[in-house]
Amino acid sequence: MTQTKAKTRGGIMVILHRVAILFTCAAVFYPGFNPGRITTEISRYTSLLTSCISYKSLVGNIGRALSRGWVQASTFRLLMAASAVLLIGIILAAIGGCMSVGNDRMRFYGARFPLIGSVVMAVGLVLINVAHGQIVAAGNDRVPPNVSMGFYLFIVLTVLIFLTSLAILFLNGKKEDLSESKMGMKEEYHLFLLFLPILALAFVFSYLPLWGWRYAFFDYSAGQELSMENFVGFKWFTYLFQNSATRADLVRVIKNTLAMSGIGIVTSWLPMVFAILLTQINSKRFRRTVQTFTTVPNFLGWVIVYAVALAIFSTDGFINNFLNNILHIKAGTNYLMDNSHMWIKMWLWGTWKGLGWSAIIYISSISGIDPMLYEAATIDGAGRFGKIWNVTIPQLMPTFFVLLLMSIAGILSNGLDQYLVFENAMNHDAIEVLDLYVYNIGISNGLIPMSTVVGMAKSLISVTLLFSANQVSKSLRGESII
Amino acid sequence: MAENVKKIAHARHTAMGIEYKRSPMDRVFMVLNVTFFILFTILCIFPFYYLFINTISDNDLVNRGVITLLPQGIHIQNYIALKNVSDFGQSVFISVTRTILGTAVMVLASAFAGYLTTKKEMWRRSLWYRLLVITMYFNAGLVPWYLNMLGLGLTDNYLGYIIPGIVQPYNIILVKTYIESIPSELEESARIDGASNMQVFSRIILPLSKPILATIAVFGAVGNWNSFQDSLILMANTPALYTLQHRLYVYLNSSSNLANVMQSGGNVSAAMLNTKVIQYTISMVTIIPIMFVYPFMQQYFEEGIMLGAVKG
Repeated sequence: MTQTKAKTRGGIMVILHRVAILFTCAAVFYPGFNPGRITTEISRYTSLLTSCISYKSLVGNIGRALSRGWVQASTFRLLMAASAVLLIGIILAAIGGCMSVGNDRMRFYGARFPLIGSVVMAVGLVLINVAHGQIVAAGNDRVPPNVSMGFYLFIVLTVLIFLTSLAILFLNGKKEDLSESKMGMKEEYHLFLLFLPILALAFVFSYLPLWGWRYAFFDYSAGQELSMENFVGFKWFTYLFQNSATRADLVRVIKNTLAMSGIGIVTSWLPMVFAILLTQINSKRFRRTVQTFTTVPNFLGWVIVYAVALAIFSTDGFINNFLNNILHIKAGTNYLMDNSHMWIKMWLWGTWKGLGWSAIIYISSISGIDPMLYEAATIDGAGRFGKIWNVTIPQLMPTFFVLLLMSIAGILSNGLDQYLVFENAMNHDAIEVLDLYVYNIGISNGLIPMSTVVGMAKSLISVTLLFSANQVSKSLRGESII
Repeated sequence: MAENVKKIAHARHTAMGIEYKRSPMDRVFMVLNVTFFILFTILCIFPFYYLFINTISDNDLVNRGVITLLPQGIHIQNYIALKNVSDFGQSVFISVTRTILGTAVMVLASAFAGYLTTKKEMWRRSLWYRLLVITMYFNAGLVPWYLNMLGLGLTDNYLGYIIPGIVQPYNIILVKTYIESIPSELEESARIDGASNMQVFSRIILPLSKPILATIAVFGAVGNWNSFQDSLILMANTPALYTLQHRLYVYLNSSSNLANVMQSGGNVSAAMLNTKVIQYTISMVTIIPIMFVYPFMQQYFEEGIMLGAVKG
């Protein structure tokens, strides 16, 4: 009875302990939480980790202030050292955090690390404060001192880690019955710790960007700080539709997107036909050669495809040379600057690049079809086309159906590369798809909130489409596609 | 005996839906069919052939647009001259190192993560696995992704090519599925001999999953070699970090840029070289590694797409 009670008490402490350590570790990487931003002149994009390992990035914006003697270089050396001390403390805490998932004995001994670590962190924070004091003392307006949110955050975290490790030491330590004689860890937690780095990376690169959706609600341009002053609510959402210029742009872009994806979907049976026709040919050598050469373009990037396009279709490209030299027709058109039939042309490039590759999946499926089915068809007197129509195509339908649903779900995502490389002043209006539009307004023109709104809408619609497609697949075939 | 072989061959052919008896209609169909594939194959490789003959032909003739079907005045000066295009060498270095490094860490991480996700004992395994899989089906959008990378200090930073690519959920799923097909007795017997998780992974799982690792490595390497978007967006302010594809894109779009680089490059006379030929030559250099590697790797590519299909 008493033991369970002790365990629960310890349990809450241990969870708090781990959360504090986990959060501290995460804050190391995030510039917004850098406790060492002692002056607003330090870049907003410098994290605690960066300040520890790169003096160059730390003083990147302060070069002039240093050379003019507005502030002392020693201050920043001190800051760097202080950050390093802080980081050492955090590493100690992290070791303890990992050990806290072990058995009682391991947790008990492990708690010493964060205890020492939090003291080291406190030293680091004091040193940062000293550096901050030097900036204040320098008293130069052009290097204004700053106490960042991260500084307070780290004070809180340090105290929390100190107290929780102390608590673990006392709660477990008072009882002398640490039943296990050896330190150890349950297999399930050990495996989890091994998997943790993978999860952390997935979190940082896939989930953390979602936090960037907040820019959609602010009046923000690159380099500014987000604050409640420039919070604008849903302004950008309504702006997209109320401003006639952006509305027209949006309509045009959506039209391009749906048209080009639409052409792709309507012709998505082509790879299947390609595969069926190719498998009709007897010579294995011939089939193999065709397959090898027609799949190569798929493995070349869109920049290369554009280079090829230039070599063939530009003013001094192959087509014009051929007309001039072989057919003796005077020619000199740059076909790539032409604005007509852009949708079809983009589809043709996509088909040239991808048809052979998309057919492979069908070719493999065809070779997996049960020979009995063909034999039965032969007995029934079916010829070549009869067999294709009654055996091959029905057998390929499930694959076709899945791929079709996937392409419908991805109707808004044409990708960026193809349209970006082929875009020029002449064809801009007809080639701009949603992905390119987001790139153009967000990255090229710096309209961050507006492009975030468009990107957000696109992501949400795409996910909805995907799940609807999945539902359709489930109800029709009883199988999910994701 | 021979008759048997013939029978088997016949059975196989009928299995593929191929008939031996030929009606005139059928003959016409076959001729059209074969012609179509020959034409399409030519369509797929001719552009590369055209690029190639223009890089090895006499530059003067190339400039006048004479070279259309056959090379003339063969020489390899253009390829040698590339060493004078300073930015180009740097981009090759970036592309080659990121391909090797990026692929290596991705394969190792996928193998390790794939192995761990097969472990039913792991605390909350299915939750973590699901969280990993979900990331394949949504993304926050280009700009939030960029701002995130900016916040992490991975813009204008070589690590921005490597670290985001380490965890690839799709590859992890492929490896997991593969490892699950390995008989579990192998691991159990190693366990009895007292092997730890890491020992089982490095001594048993890693060697046995070589085929699937080769497949994801090949796809990863091609992806890294073709990478363009991350270079374009993340490294915009650091030309020294441009990948080869990005460098080529810059040269294709502004030949003046290329002309400047070549003039500062040195000892090859400007008359010998011209921007068009250098564009072609750099394109060829970007294509050649894939062209050379592809025939050897084709099997892995095809296995890869089938694995994806099985997964659905």
